[in-house]
Amino acid sequence: MSALFSVRDLRLSFPDRAHKPLFGPAPRNEVLKGFSLDIPEGRITGIVGESGSGKSTFGRVLVRLLEPDSGQVLFDGQEIGHLDEAALRPLRRDLQMIFQDPMSSLNPRHRVWRIISQPMKRYGRGGTKADAIAALEKVGLPPTFAERYPHELSGGQRQRVGIARAIALEPRFILADEIVSGLDVSSQAQVLSLLKTLARDMGLTVAFISHDLSVIRHLCDHVIVLNHGEIVDHGPVVEVFEAPKSEITKTLLSAIPLPELDDDWFDEA
Amino acid sequence: MSSLHAHTLDVIKLNIALPNGHRLLRNVSLTLEPGEVRALVGESGAGKSMIGKSVLGILPPNVAITEGEILLEGQHLNMMTPPTRRKIVAQSAALIPQDPLTALNPVRKIGPQIIDPLVRIQGWNAREAETRALDLLDRVHIRDPKRVMQSYPHELSGGMRQRVLIAAAFAPSPRLIVADEPTTALDVTVQKQILRLIRELQQETGTAVLFVTHDMGVVAKISQKVTVLFAGKVMEDAPTREVFTNPQHPYTRALIAATPSYADLERPFSPVPASLIADLHAQIAQDDLLYRGGRI
Ligand SMILES: Nc1ncnc2c1ncn2[C@@H]1O[C@H](COP(=O)(O)OP(=O)(O)OP(=O)(O)O)[C@@H](O)[C@H]1O
Ligand SMILES: Nc1ncnc2c1ncn2[C@@H]1O[C@H](COP(=O)(O)OP(=O)(O)OP(=O)(O)O)[C@@H](O)[C@H]1O
Ligand SMILES: [Mg+2]
Ligand SMILES: [Mg+2]
Repeated sequence: MSALFSVRDLRLSFPDRAHKPLFGPAPRNEVLKGFSLDIPEGRITGIVGESGSGKSTFGRVLVRLLEPDSGQVLFDGQEIGHLDEAALRPLRRDLQMIFQDPMSSLNPRHRVWRIISQPMKRYGRGGTKADAIAALEKVGLPPTFAERYPHELSGGQRQRVGIARAIALEPRFILADEIVSGLDVSSQAQVLSLLKTLARDMGLTVAFISHDLSVIRHLCDHVIVLNHGEIVDHGPVVEVFEAPKSEITKTLLSAIPLPELDDDWFDEA
Repeated sequence: MSSLHAHTLDVIKLNIALPNGHRLLRNVSLTLEPGEVRALVGESGAGKSMIGKSVLGILPPNVAITEGEILLEGQHLNMMTPPTRRKIVAQSAALIPQDPLTALNPVRKIGPQIIDPLVRIQGWNAREAETRALDLLDRVHIRDPKRVMQSYPHELSGGMRQRVLIAAAFAPSPRLIVADEPTTALDVTVQKQILRLIRELQQETGTAVLFVTHDMGVVAKISQKVTVLFAGKVMEDAPTREVFTNPQHPYTRALIAATPSYADLERPFSPVPASLIADLHAQIAQDDLLYRGGRI
């Protein structure tokens, strides 16, 4: 099993304006603190960890929406961590992202079919209305949705349009950042089995950021647990969840709200 | 009158529709007592957010209430003039919106976005409002409240933005909070802290919460009552205990079955069966044929 991404000593920080002195530059807030790992090709890797631990930031480095301060990001053997936009252009179709916040990523003035077909055209992957409708069908939305505008969709329907747009490009890698947290359990089940099938059939590599550990356990082959920008657990999901090494992972696992009545739940840590 | 009224919220046979007559809510009724959490569950597009928007008077312009009553602490909201209604709602109810990024103004710092409404609507002085904002950010477990007050929304993680909105909603101690999927962007540890906080604040102030969620685990832990919605129609309204021990409606049972089990890895992802959905839609089409309310 080969690695699609190899990340070495990855560091990233943001300026911290709240603690900026009157003169001189703002101090930096370290978000990714120099970790290394491989993301296996054709597998689904879960990324979990508490809010603010750096999951989305790490994901944005993988799809090169962010440039790390230092360290290497090898994509299929090629160093992409510090490429400029022009050099990244041929890679853009391969590195797709489905956003956490669908409303802000869908152009409000375009109908759904255009939202899906525009990137298809840009990357020379078709882009007719029929292509867009076919993509909608894959995410369980009827053809009539092609004519709607984003504001005419429910939150969950919008998220499915975002998924349709990404998979229509047939990329090699998809970063899925909290993509099912806004979906009802039934659509979640649909999208997750779809994602699982696609990943298998297309040999797609997925990094799946989620807070739902039951979903991670069912969907992912591997899992990374981040804490304050460092990796505290990493490995096959079964191993990590059955025998977590770090206290962070143990705490996360114990806080899952299982769908059953439990009057003492709030009294437990 | 409001002080004698036992309920925080009564929604009575609410119907809303698009201009072409397409119905989005069909005779929806529900109540909330002070200090009660009612979970609102159902598939995407069922109309959960529309119920919240109806109550708060923030329906999209092309959606209208065609029939039904909404009472906030006994006061008939839909008989008021829009300015009176806005004032009453702003003073006693708050929304934790579904979409944390678009709900925050991208070009303003977080601090004023929490503080301004406290000053403008609740009439607090600026210092009180700032103290309250910092206190609430601390209580939603934001690690560095001062930094966050100085930040712009895009500088915060998804979970931090969501907690900012939770803090802003609770800051004025409203009688009613419509929480539209308020914990979807939170890790389970913070989620548990937030759910605990909602319980605490509720017990302190008697705030009632209409809690929209997809997560049957969260439903089991936080709510006392559950409304199950499908295509704008109430399928089941029952105490949470009943829903998990003896769910009455096949759709409720299907929702519970669709929840991935942590323990049982053999069970595949199981969406609500298409045949059940088709049956429910057929029943609703029947209802619609008989329904003439709100039309000329
Ligand atoms: N553009 C930015 N400018 C400054 N700070 C940022 C920026 N983006 C993220 N941060 C900070 O980096 C840290 C990590 O954020 P990130 O979005 O990666 O967290 P996350 O693990 O995805 O959290 P969540 O689960 O809440 O989405 C946070 O402290 C956040 O405030
Ligand atoms: N402005 C609008 N114009 C027309 N239809 C709309 C509009 N906004 C929403 N709808 C439709 O109204 C129905 C109810 O939407 P609502 O947002 O209440 O769903 P929801 O139950 O909150 O779903 P989700 O779980 O996905 O957030 C959906 O079918 C949606 O497509
Ligand atoms: Mg994130
Ligand atoms: Mg909604």
